[in-house]
Amino acid sequence: MNAGLDAAPRPGLGTNGGADSRGLGTPAAPPTGRGASPVGSIDLLLRDRDAMLARIRAGTELPDLLRTMIATIAVAMAIVGAALGSYRGGVQIAYAALKLPIVLLGTAALSAPALSALGAALGRRSRLAADLALVMTALAFGALLLVACTPLVLVGRAVELDYHRMILATVAMFAIAGGAALRLIWRGVALEAGPGWRTAIVGLCVVFSLVGGQLSWALRPYLVRPRAPDVPLLREVEGSLFDSVTGALRSARGIYDRESAPLGPRAESAP
Amino acid sequence: MTVATHAPFPVPRGLAVAFAATGPLAIGGMLAVRAHDAGPVLAAPAIVFGVVAATAPALYIASAAVGAAPSLATVARAFATAFGAFGIALAGLILPAVFIAVSSVSPRTTIAAASVALGGAGVLGLRRLADELEAGARGRTPGATLAAGAVFAVWAVATGAIAGRLWWELAVEVAS
Repeated sequence: MNAGLDAAPRPGLGTNGGADSRGLGTPAAPPTGRGASPVGSIDLLLRDRDAMLARIRAGTELPDLLRTMIATIAVAMAIVGAALGSYRGGVQIAYAALKLPIVLLGTAALSAPALSALGAALGRRSRLAADLALVMTALAFGALLLVACTPLVLVGRAVELDYHRMILATVAMFAIAGGAALRLIWRGVALEAGPGWRTAIVGLCVVFSLVGGQLSWALRPYLVRPRAPDVPLLREVEGSLFDSVTGALRSARGIYDRESAPLGPRAESAP
Repeated sequence: MTVATHAPFPVPRGLAVAFAATGPLAIGGMLAVRAHDAGPVLAAPAIVFGVVAATAPALYIASAAVGAAPSLATVARAFATAFGAFGIALAGLILPAVFIAVSSVSPRTTIAAASVALGGAGVLGLRRLADELEAGARGRTPGATLAAGAVFAVWAVATGAIAGRLWWELAVEVAS
């Protein structure tokens, strides 16, 4: 697994996190200079993810890195939330900007320990702090990619893209960002080549999907139709995403759990 | 596969076993809160430990009968390690499961979250047990290895089926 990564230093990769940190098969010397400051860390994440992975693996400055990545996720997802909220406008901009960072950070906090625990159960020498840093770094990368996509959301609003197409576009953007984040986690854990690393990543994906799905479900809505008269900060606590999916499957088979669909006040007052 | 034996837990073995002992209690607690009944607090660990205690001798006897069992001490150590693995895995899954359970008003969601956590940890525990038993029986003939694998597979399916059946009955009780 590490054969290709333990190769001799390559020219032209810089002196700090470049050539040295590419020797990922063994813990690299902690990069200094580029990547040490918060802005440097973000730049390193965007430009040289191998060096970033080496920095995490070396285990130095993890608290600083964690703080930077948490702040990055919070700011980036607030921007993305505000962009999504702008589809409806008004107070929904603030609501979505507040809720999306909570969704991602909350999901990461609840799910990251699973990566350490599942790997450790199979003999992987996992470290909770390093795993948390890896997950947060990967999510920060995904969040930055989403920020890069926000102009597309604004374009959708500008050309008055219909609600369902906007939903699909949003799902596609999140899928791309999620895939990129997952790939980074995969690379980071694969470098260890320890026992059970694949199972640990699969387990993390399952847990992350379930927790993320439920948390985002609990904090919805984010993208609201422009004509919606009122927007709640949160909807009432009800069944879970799991219940909704099973309910939808039952409805699709013609089995309805209620006599009729709930109608809004306008529809109810209509002749 | 054999690496698992040489790689220690990143936590002390005693702590791992403590996780294994308390994890099912916590899962049972989730169900108990939803059902407003204390029964599941004891029923969940009883299912986990009771079923394994009842079926573990069968694994040793059958493996020994086909000439593929490691020593009794090795098998006991393998079970202790597997329990530790089960406990560590469950410790990582309990927080997400509790969150999903408390953020929904539906008993089905609680049951599903508890089942996934317990089932996932159980599968990892079984996998670790297989790794430990394989590592503890080096030098077997290919025929004995094949027989050991078949015995373990049948035992794992039977143990999972018994535990699953009992868990299902508990879940139905909670949901009703």
